Order: sequence, then C-alpha cells, then structure tokens
Amino acid sequence: MSNFNDDKTESSFNGNALFRLLTYTKPHLHWFGISLVLVMILTGTELLRPIFIGDAINLFKEKGQPSELTATVIKYGIVLVIGVICDLWQGWILQKTGQKIIFGIRKEIYLHIQSLSSRFFDLTPVGKLVTRVTNDVDALEEMYSGILVKLFRNIVYIIGLAVIMLTLDYKLALFSFVLLPFVVLLTGLLRYFSRKAFRVSRARLTDLNTFLSENITGMKIIQIFGREERKYEEFDDKSKRFLKASFNEIMVYATFRPLIYISSILSLMIVLSIGGREVLSETISVGTLYIFAQYIQSFFDPIQELAEHFATLQSSLASAEKIFTILDEEAKIPEKENPVELKDLKGKIEFSHVWFAYDDENYVLRDVSFIIEPGQKIAFVGATGAGKTSILNLIGRYYDVQKGNIYIDDVDIRDLKKSDLRRFIGQMQQDVLIFEGTIKSNIRLYDDYITDEEIETAAKHVNASHFIEKLPRKYDEPVSERGATFSTGEKQLLSFARTLAHKPGILVLDEATANIDTETEILIQDALEKLMKDRTTIMVAHRLSTIQHADKIYVISKGRIIESGNHFELLDKKGAYYELYKLQYEA
Amino acid sequence: MTRNKNNDFRMSKYILRHLPAYTMGILLLLMVDLTNIYVPQFTAEIIDGLAENPLFSVKDLSDIVLKIFILGIIIMVGRFGWRYFILGSSRKIQYELRGAMFGHLESLSARFFNAHKTGDLMAHFTNDLNAIREATGWAVITVFDGFIMTVMVLVKMVLYVNFNLTLLAFVPMILIAFGCYVYGKVVEVRMEAKQNAFSALSDKVQESMAGIRVIKAFVQEEADFKSFEKSSEDCMKKNLSVVKLRIQFIPLLELVIGISMMLSLLFGGNMVLKGTITIGQYVAFNSYIGMLVWPMIAVGDCINIFSQAYASYVRISKIFDESPDILDSEKENNVSELKGEVSFKDLTFQYPDGDTPVLKNINLDIKQGEMLGILGRTGSGKSSLSDLLLRVFDCEKGTLLLDGTPIDEIPLAVLRRDVAYVPQDNFLFSDTLEENIAFGLEDKVSDRPELRELVVKAAKAACIDENINTFPDKYQTVVGERGVTLSGGQKQRSSIARALLKDAAILILDDSLSAVDTDTEEQILSNIMELRKDKTTIVIAHRISTLSKADHIAVLNDGEITEYGTHEELLNLGGFYKKIFDKQQLEKELTEL
Repeated sequence: MSNFNDDKTESSFNGNALFRLLTYTKPHLHWFGISLVLVMILTGTELLRPIFIGDAINLFKEKGQPSELTATVIKYGIVLVIGVICDLWQGWILQKTGQKIIFGIRKEIYLHIQSLSSRFFDLTPVGKLVTRVTNDVDALEEMYSGILVKLFRNIVYIIGLAVIMLTLDYKLALFSFVLLPFVVLLTGLLRYFSRKAFRVSRARLTDLNTFLSENITGMKIIQIFGREERKYEEFDDKSKRFLKASFNEIMVYATFRPLIYISSILSLMIVLSIGGREVLSETISVGTLYIFAQYIQSFFDPIQELAEHFATLQSSLASAEKIFTILDEEAKIPEKENPVELKDLKGKIEFSHVWFAYDDENYVLRDVSFIIEPGQKIAFVGATGAGKTSILNLIGRYYDVQKGNIYIDDVDIRDLKKSDLRRFIGQMQQDVLIFEGTIKSNIRLYDDYITDEEIETAAKHVNASHFIEKLPRKYDEPVSERGATFSTGEKQLLSFARTLAHKPGILVLDEATANIDTETEILIQDALEKLMKDRTTIMVAHRLSTIQHADKIYVISKGRIIESGNHFELLDKKGAYYELYKLQYEA
Repeated sequence: MTRNKNNDFRMSKYILRHLPAYTMGILLLLMVDLTNIYVPQFTAEIIDGLAENPLFSVKDLSDIVLKIFILGIIIMVGRFGWRYFILGSSRKIQYELRGAMFGHLESLSARFFNAHKTGDLMAHFTNDLNAIREATGWAVITVFDGFIMTVMVLVKMVLYVNFNLTLLAFVPMILIAFGCYVYGKVVEVRMEAKQNAFSALSDKVQESMAGIRVIKAFVQEEADFKSFEKSSEDCMKKNLSVVKLRIQFIPLLELVIGISMMLSLLFGGNMVLKGTITIGQYVAFNSYIGMLVWPMIAVGDCINIFSQAYASYVRISKIFDESPDILDSEKENNVSELKGEVSFKDLTFQYPDGDTPVLKNINLDIKQGEMLGILGRTGSGKSSLSDLLLRVFDCEKGTLLLDGTPIDEIPLAVLRRDVAYVPQDNFLFSDTLEENIAFGLEDKVSDRPELRELVVKAAKAACIDENINTFPDKYQTVVGERGVTLSGGQKQRSSIARALLKDAAILILDDSLSAVDTDTEEQILSNIMELRKDKTTIVIAHRISTLSKADHIAVLNDGEITEYGTHEELLNLGGFYKKIFDKQQLEKELTEL
C-alpha cells in the first residue's frame, strides 16, 4: 500500500527497523511458531465450514438420508469447536508474548535514557522522552500481539479461498476474481483518503484543543480585558474548521464503504450468473455454486483488513524508528573499568587547564585552573553565559572535559566510579524540583537508609521545619509534581534539607536569582551558612552576602578566570569585580 | 453562530434542530434494511430455480441477477445517505454544544474557574462531547438499524422460511446481545483501570525525566528504575486483563453463530429433506442468520454508549447549571466613562469559599491622577484589592465606589474598558507579541496595521521594545510553545505594555515589576508617571524601590491597612514599612563598606 502514502517519512518502508523489531521476537519464537500452527488450523476450519454446507445442499438435491445430514452436522460442529479453541489459544499466546516483549523494550529504553549524559537531556525536551517510553512503545504492541500473525492469517485465508475455488472450478474462479483488483484499488483509495482526512481533522482538533485549554486558563485576562466576543469568534472559527474537517472524514467513508459494498454485490452477480449457467449446463453442482457465493463474499473482509494491517505496521515502524534512534544514542560519559575507590573524602578539588565545550568547537571554559583546599568556600561570579554553571556541572561529571583534568582529593574524576563521585557531592540546582509524594519522600529521595529522625533533623537545621510543621500532616504532607503549594523560598529550603540529609562532603551550589521575600531570604541565608560549615563549597553566587562569605572569589569572563581574591581584595583592585559589583548592587 | 449568554441546555433542543436530517437518515436506513433482506431471497430463488425447477432458464437467471443489482444500487445510495444525514448531524450537534459551552464559560466568574481545573473543563470538551456525539450518531444508527433489521429479518425468516426454525436459530442470537452488553460493561471497568495504569506510568516517566538531573546528582538511578518497573509491570497486567476479554470476543461470537448455523443445518436440513422448505429457503435462512449478527452486537453496544453519553450529559449539564454571578446591575445606569476616583468605604471582604475575611475595614480614597502604592506580605490581601476593583469578585454593596458610584452599578463593559490591569502571573496568549500587546483594543493589529504605532509606543514605555527588536520576527514573534520562550521579566514587561496601551482611567500593577531589575524598574515607573499624569495608578509591590515615588503608600497587614502616608511619613513612623525599608537597604549599605 506504500504507493498510497503521501507522507514521505512513513512511506519509506524501513526494512532495518522491521528486522530489528523482529529480533525482539527471538526469545519467544517457539510461541510464535505454535500460534502460526494454530492459525493455520483455524483458517482451515474457516474454509471448511462453507464446504460442509455446500455438501449438505448437494445432499438435499440428491434427496439423501437424514443420517448423512446428521454426519455433516457433527463434522460441522467438530470443526467449529476446533476453530474456536485454536482462536482462543493463539490469541492468548500472542497477547501474552506481545505484552512481555513490550515490557522488555520499555525497560530497555528507560534504562538507556537513564544512562545518557546531560548533554542529551539539554537537547531533548522531556515531553519527547515521555512519548518514546509510553506511547511509542505502546504503538509496537499491536505489531507483536496482532499484526504479524493477522497478516499471516489473512494471507493464508485469501490464498486458501483462491486455491479451493480454482480447484473446484477454475473457470468460474477466474471470472469471480475479475473484480478483486478493483476492490483492492478501492480499499487502497479509501485508506489514502481517510488517512488524509484523518490527519487534517486531527490537526484541526489539536488546534482547537490547544486554543481551548489556553483560553480557559487565561479566562480571567479575557474577562478583565473584556475580550469575550473576540475570543468567541476566534474559537468559533477553529471549531468550524474542525467541523468541516470531520465532515470530510465522514464523507470519505460515506463514499467508499458503499462503493466497496456494491462491488461485493457485483461479484455475487458474476458468480450467480456465470455459475448459474454452469449449473444449468450441469458443469457444477448447486452446492459448489453455494460455496462460490459464500467464498467470493469472504474475500472482502480480509482485503480490507490487510490494508489496515499495513497501515498499523507502518505506524509501528515509525514509532520503532523513533525508539531505535534513542536506543542508538551513545552514553557519552564512560565508566572506567577498574575505578579507584575513594574511602574518606577530604574535599580537595583541583581544576587543571580545563577546556570545555558543549559543542565541539565553542569553548565555554578556556584553560581554567584552580585548587580548592578541603573546607574552603569558593564563589564564582561573572556575567550570564560566562561559564560559571558549566564549572559546577563538570565536578559531578555530568559532562566530560575536552582538555585538562579535574581532580578530587588528587584523583582524576574519570578514574572514579560515577555513582561514588556523585554521592560525595551535594549538588543544588537553581530551580528546585519537587517530586510527587510527601515532604518526607522528597527529602529522602528514594534513599531508604535515611531515617525519619535524620530527615527531621536536617529540616530543622536548615530552617525548613518552620513551614513544614505548619502543614496539616507535617512531614507526611502530600506534595505534587510542580510543588504549586510552596513558594520559591520554601522550595529552596526543602532542597537544602534534601541535600543535607544525604550528607555530602562537597557542596555544589547554583544560587537562584529568583525574588524571595525578605523574611524567607534571611532564613535561607542562615541555612546556607550552616550548610557550608566545614564543607568544601563551590558555588555560583548572586547574593552579596553569600559572595562576601566566600574564602575566595573567582571572576569568570568568557570562559576564563580573570580575577581572584576575596571580596575586599577584589574591591581594592578596582578591576572587573569592582565594575560588576557596581553594576549589580548600586541602584 | 453567535455567542448566546444565557444558555438553556436541553439535549432535545439540539436534536429537534436537526430533526429533518435525522428523519431523512432514519428513512434511508429503513430503505436500506428493507432492500437488504431481499438479497438472500433473490439468491435463494436462483438456487431453487437451479436445484428444483427443471424449467429454470438463463433468461430467468439473468432477470433475478438484474434484480439483485438494482437492490445493490439502492443500498449503496441509502448507505451514503444515512451516513451523511445522521453522522453529519451528530457532528453539527457537537459543534453547537461546544460553542454553547465555551460561550457559557466566558460568562462565568473567577469563582468558577478557581474551583474547576482547566484539565477537567477540557475533559468536558473532549471526552464528554465525544460521548454525546457517539450517542447522537452511531448509536442512533445502531438503534434504528438494529431494531429495524432484527424485526424485518425475523419477519422475513418466519414468513419466507419457517416459524419453528426461526425460533430455534434466534435463541442463541439473543445470547449475543446480552453477552455484548455484559462484555461492554466489564471491558469498560478494565479499560479504565488500564488507562489509569497508563497515565500513572506516563506521570512517573514525566517526573523522572524532568528530574533526571536530581536523580543523577543523588545517585538514585536504580531506585528510580525500580519504581518505573513497578509502574510498567502494573501497566502490563492491566493491559492483559483487558486483552484477555478482547481475544475471547470474536471466537465466542463465532461459536454462537456457528451453533445457530448448526441448528439450522440440522433442523432446516431435515425440513428440506422432508420437503417442508426448499433448498433456496434454507440458503436464504443461513444468510439471514448472518444478517442478525450485527444488530445483536449493536443492541448490546448501544446500551453502553447511551449510558456513557448520559453520564457525560449529566456532567455537562452541571456546567450549564452554573449561573454567571458577576452581572450588570439591573438598575438603569448611564455611567459611560470612568474618571478614576476610587474609594473604599469600610470594606470587608471574604472569598465565597473562604472562611475568614481577607480584607477588613478598608478605608481608602484615591483621587483622580493619584498614584497609590500598596505594600504587604504574601497573603496580606493585596491582590484581593485588585480582584475587587476589576469585579473579578463582588464585595458588599456600597463599600467600593468609583467616581462615587457603587462598583456593581457600573456596566461591566465600561469598568473593564476603563480599568487596566497587569496581573502577577503575566499570562500571554500564544499569538504574536503585537497582538498580545494590543489585546485590550477593539481591533486586531492584523486587521488594522495602523495600530502598530500604538503598540510600539506602549512597548517603549514598558521597556520591552528593545528586547522585541532583537527577536528574529520582532513584533510578529509568536509567544509560547512553538515560538520564542520569553523570560519572566520579558513577559512581565509585555504584560505591562498590554495594560498601558489601554490608556485607561485606572491602572493596577499587581506585583508586576518583581522580575525586572531595579534600573529598568525605575525607567518603567518614570514612564508610567509621565504617561499617566492625570490618571489613577495603583501599584502593588514588595520592593520599596517600586513604591517610594507613589503619592501615598498603604501598608496592608493581615487584611488591614496598618500604615498610610507618603514615603517620608512612613519612614518617620518607624513601623513595618520602615522595617522592610531597612532590610532592603541592608544590601545597599553593604556596598558602602
């Protein structure tokens, strides 16, 4: 059916993707084998049943014995039951196998995504990843649990029909087949037009729903600005366009279904008039004519189903290609084979001539070197895009450097196990992520070794207990994904508690710039001080008070360290820091 | 179709409007069914002629075949027709309902939208309207087709073939109808469980992918994978429970039909042998059994479709039952313009679903041309003041006057034209920036390009013009998903421009300068003062720098005005204002070290 496709990406039938999909069936091949055998038997019984009726009709004509009829009925019954059993059995085998394969693929893709580097997540929107793991994998289900075998079944069925007809009376059979190409063509056209109409109406619907959802959200603004009439017109326009598109969809079916019906009537006419003449000339029996009349009608459903299967197969393949693209994505942060074990962390960090670029050419860090002694607090300042955040991301090895080395306690971080390294580091991002669950589960973050007491102690220590204890269910208060119920400041405190509970040796902090009311701000300052105490701390700072507390400040500009020293030293220099400082803090 | 505000939502109204089309559709269905049952009969006549009539000629054969052809043509046309009329009407009804619903939503107040999530309202537009469409489309066809067909086929079976045989063959068929009904119910329950499991899985993946950096930072990949695996396994189990039913459907259906066929072969066959019926009649009978299958399935299905549609209808009715509560006063009033005088007279206000007043005994007079600053903590009631001024909510009559007139007596259209507002959350529509800024104007910029001048002027005053010009598409940049993502500050300034463009008598800035740096803030404020010399402006903020230049400043604490005066007066007072001022000065003072 590929010539009926207007969409290039989908019509390019990718043999590789299909082959790769088929490799997933390997561990289950015996099940597929069994179900194929069952399907063959099933198809056989389906073909046999009209023949038994035809036999009975011939029996009637010859005025046979009731006992002969009873025998036919019993044969019919046995075949019927065998068919039903085979059908149930193969259905169950396939569905179960299909679900297992899907489950496996889903695990594989999830594990793979988890292992990918931060670079990948920078470039790929979350929504896309979610679709890959959920909907795209689901689209494959149909293929394993249905299509493959149904394709086989329908082809066997069609061939079976044709063979039996040709054997019974090849001349009548050939005449009967005259209309079949026409039916195939009609079916193809129906698919083509209905898909096209479907795509248009889908697009219109998405458009309409997007509009609706946005405008329901913004209804307050619409009303305050008194724009109800105009918005209604816009809505009505989109709504009408969708109506028109869905009407077209109806018309496609309204046109083609009756056309396919009339061709089945025409086929019946051909069989009856030509077969009828043959009965009159006594070339064939009435029973045979009956079988032909039944068989010719039986061609129609499988042909239409085949068309549908091909379409499903194609959309499965489209999904498969998307999934394989992700699976082929390489994890860019390799794990060392015999990693060095680091037992007690002292907390020394050294950058030695580090060059780093997200893309191959555009260096965001150029020849950066510095040493942080255990327990020191270091702040990076500089304009947006100077490379401050990149430095923080390199310490936890979320990216690998192009040139130079990073050492923790004098061990190159590439020689450490990634999970060990990251366990040492308490990394706090600008935007705090709240997970669905409770306050407790958000502080614990899956780590069951952290006790409830430890959670509460941590929360108290960083001043988060103030607001937590005001909640109706305190630490068991359910929280939602977007953490809508908490203010930015509260979320910040919660993330402090989370970090503290995991007892990191090194604190990596990307300070948020968000506006926080003055009182929470004081709580945050205090908590930060407590957090930083006795810990090597490396941070990108925006708050003046945080910067002033640093033992050393590095001024970054265009990926290079241009100045360093403490707050007062730098101010005295009247250099870049002084300028930056004037710009930001003197209104 | 135009927007009608007072919606009278009765399904019958919509059905009646399309009654002619439905009648046509149903008549065509009748015609198709009536024609359809003659196809087996004519086929039977051929078989009988061939098998039992020695005089049957080629001419007779051709005549009957031709008759079948005519039947086929009639059926073809009829099938086109009923699809067109019935399915078409169901789509039109869906369109009309959608319009009525959106129009109705537009008339409802913030109280309603606070209580209903967008997602839930969207579900009414999608799921519920679809359920109703199914019921007014396919289900209508099924009901009529099912009943007409069943009755006609049964009549034909009895009259043309044999009563006892019909009875015998029909009994198993009833099983199908009953089975389909039960099946539909069970599938529905399991489907729901399956969908819940799937959306739980989606949520899980969504959350983990969004939080992958945190998960990696805390080295919790394994634990995260385990929780994913659990969701995924649950999804598989729920899937299998649906599939288990699915795979039984066709085989069991085949079994029942097969049993009917067997019964008809055994008993009908014996009748043929005895000569009670002809071979042709037997063949036709078999076809009739086949023709009964779909109506039987349909009857079972239908009941489920209608019960779902009814549930949807009830849900939608609830929306229509909500009556708009912010309305124009019934009292004749000729206020056609606001000058900008605002006075709160001992106003106490409590949200309809709240249990404590958020504003208590507010007394405030704002003169035309004055700039009033309001300072307060989160939850002090600041934003409630703007809610009342915009009549997003209603307060007690006579406690809030504009130009001396109680606010509820001012026509809503006038009020909302003459009060401009910059909200806290900076909602922009996914349209071009210029359309967003010109949102308060009667016409769209795309219709009247000369409005562009105004847009640029407002954008300049809001200090966003420069930013916009750095975008590749400038003012034609589309906001949102497919367009450029604006930063919080850019959104805030665009939304300030949108309000300034209205050049309204009263302007409310609700904490709208928080994401703007102090330099820009100062620039915007001085632009605003320049532009709005003789107009009223209310600035709500928590930065003193934003408020200090206001003519008067009111400090709100727990819903009460605790301090009021000019910047200097309040500093001298040494209260809350002074405390906040000192705190915010702290950073500044540090610079002088």
